[in-house]
Amino acid sequence: MRQLKRLWQITLKDLLVMGKDRGSWIVLLLTPLAIIMVASFALGPAFNGELKSKLLAVNLDQGAIGKQLIDGLDTAEGLDVVEGTEAECQSLAVGDKKYKTSLVIPADFSSQILTGSDTSLQVYVDPTDNINRPFMLGMIDGAASRLSGMVTSVRVSVSEVIKFAPEAEPVTVASDAALAAANQMTGNPPVAVEISNAGTTADINMFDTQAPGYSVMFLLFGVMLGAEGLLEERDKGTLGRLLVAPVAKTSILGGKLVAQFLIALVQMTILFGVGHFVFGMHLGNSIPGLILMIFVTAFTATAFGILLASVVKTRRQATSLGTLIIILMSALGGSWWPLAIEPDFMQKLGHLTINAWALDGMNALIINGKTLTDILPQAGVLFAYGCICFLVGLRLFKFRNA
Amino acid sequence: MPLVTADNLVKKYDELTAVDGVSFTIDEGQIFGFLGPNGAGKSTTISMLSTYLPPSSGDAVIDGLSVTHQAEKVRNIIGVVPQDIALYPTLTALQNLKFYGKMYDMGGENLDKRCQELLELVELWDRRDSRVEQFSGGMKRRINMAAGLLHHPRFLLLDEPTVGVDPQSREHIFETIFKIRDSGTTILYTSHYMEEVETLCDYIAIMDKGKMVASGTLHELLSVLGEGGVIELKIAPPGCHAGLEEAIAGQNGVTSINHQDGKLLISSKNSAHSLPPVLKVLEDTGCTVDHLEIYTPNLEKLFIHLTGKELRE
Ligand SMILES: Nc1ncnc2c1ncn2[C@@H]1O[C@H](COP(=O)(O)OP(=O)(O)O)[C@@H](O)[C@H]1O
Ligand SMILES: [Mg+2]
Repeated sequence: MRQLKRLWQITLKDLLVMGKDRGSWIVLLLTPLAIIMVASFALGPAFNGELKSKLLAVNLDQGAIGKQLIDGLDTAEGLDVVEGTEAECQSLAVGDKKYKTSLVIPADFSSQILTGSDTSLQVYVDPTDNINRPFMLGMIDGAASRLSGMVTSVRVSVSEVIKFAPEAEPVTVASDAALAAANQMTGNPPVAVEISNAGTTADINMFDTQAPGYSVMFLLFGVMLGAEGLLEERDKGTLGRLLVAPVAKTSILGGKLVAQFLIALVQMTILFGVGHFVFGMHLGNSIPGLILMIFVTAFTATAFGILLASVVKTRRQATSLGTLIIILMSALGGSWWPLAIEPDFMQKLGHLTINAWALDGMNALIINGKTLTDILPQAGVLFAYGCICFLVGLRLFKFRNA
Repeated sequence: MPLVTADNLVKKYDELTAVDGVSFTIDEGQIFGFLGPNGAGKSTTISMLSTYLPPSSGDAVIDGLSVTHQAEKVRNIIGVVPQDIALYPTLTALQNLKFYGKMYDMGGENLDKRCQELLELVELWDRRDSRVEQFSGGMKRRINMAAGLLHHPRFLLLDEPTVGVDPQSREHIFETIFKIRDSGTTILYTSHYMEEVETLCDYIAIMDKGKMVASGTLHELLSVLGEGGVIELKIAPPGCHAGLEEAIAGQNGVTSINHQDGKLLISSKNSAHSLPPVLKVLEDTGCTVDHLEIYTPNLEKLFIHLTGKELRE
């Protein structure tokens, strides 16, 4: 009981010391908020599909079908068609403005189709563009397939018409039908593909994809400061003073860890709170789930802090090794870009980190609209992760300088 | 009846033996001084007495409690003032004291009163709400000392509490230490300044290289060198006269003659009275004096006498 009281007094003292330390608040709150804002505005649209890709195109076709194809592509979601000359399309450049993909519709495009011959579209791509190319080619390919489908059905229907109306002129029938079909290009396709964000009803915004990742990263930087603070107490002798007072070692470390945990909780809550109330970040459908994730993440981060303080000899090492580990974990664990876009083995490797498990849980809640029970596995793994760090850290921590 | 008994304390670090078999007793109400150069093992001895470090061997008993077996209980009755300022720089003087008081389960009015008492004792009550980081070296030292006194310890361990303070603050710290002693606290004081232990301590132990090389009251220690004074002579050519020493020993007031580093140390009851006859002997024997120094014995000289080196390197 007495030891618990002392533990709590140590916690209060640490909170007081922390509260007065402006430098720490800059690391804990201002830096992550600044970075979250920059990242959200810069990268959010890409991850949300809000960014429009530009397609340079030239229509040399004298007929109507080429025009319909261009209009069809222009109205497609996520795509803007910019008209250029044939030479510009071949060089993928208009003046100093560069394009990644261009489309050339040949001069006899409509007439070839209308006379029942096969034809082709010419697409130029920038070989270094790995990000946009699949999307652009998919869009063009889709449009071409739709056209091919129509042409086939027109051909079939023309032969049917001729069976029943032998006096009809096949070419006229075919061209009327083809034109009617091509007009459909700008309308909705008969079989539309509706894309939604799996599981959630709300539209995700740019903060939803960026804020959790950076929050977890700066949570880890926060506990690194805590680890430095603990080692500073050891260096300066204030820890020694407690050791020669009737305070149990468990109370000393316990008090400091409770303080660290509370600071981590406050930090996460403020980051998510500012994200939500100021920038309209979504908190998902399950607030209890999010609270659980924040608690478990703060706990595991705190445990990581004590482990860090135990494996290094000096404060400087805590800073350098801590920074290295946190940067690595953030890169591997999906704090900077979604793990889902990485190859399988990288995703597996990423799950060695605190970030990956924390973000799996948080993204499931915020982006995919999952509930408390859905994220129990992630929370469980994270908690076990924290417990292991704690046990090893407490065992290895040295109260006295060697 | 001794309050503290140290029995053959040893502390080894890998190769180095920092404290090499130190034994002493400290009587209740005494100020016991450890004098020795940097690295002598003073702080390490304090660390073992204060239960901060376990001894490699040996033990010490404080008020009947063993520092090795009853560390928890020992911690309740000792106060420690570490050599380094062990305070939270961003907290105020009062916040620091209150925090440490709570570590001894103090609280409420009792703690408030004690904090005021101590801050008044070290004359920093007016500055109680200033952050420690804004204090001068001497002021920090005084708060550092107050922080070890909150719980009325029976035994106070002060490790070089005057390092880096101005003479005025030092005077002030001395006055405070006497007041603490007068309130019934037994004190262990370490320093590498001989004037400090001469002024403060009832009993002095001289340490060097982990060992206690001498101990006793100031008077006992200095009597090794002579009571009234010492005449230190360097004469040329060395051994210029075979019967010189006997001749000097026969002079008025001379009590003993020692050799050290080719010098002759002549102890006498009164140097002023003994000097003329000694010089006369030298003149008669045809020896010339290269170097002559007259001093009253002090710990500095004793340290050189005992270890062959200066106290302050
Ligand atoms: N943690 C340690 N590891 C190794 N050597 C140490 C350690 N602490 C002290 N020493 C050595 O022990 C000796 C005594 O040190 P110390 O007790 O601090 O001396 P003093 O307080 O008299 O200046 C010194 O040589 C010092 O370098
Ligand atoms: Mg020392």
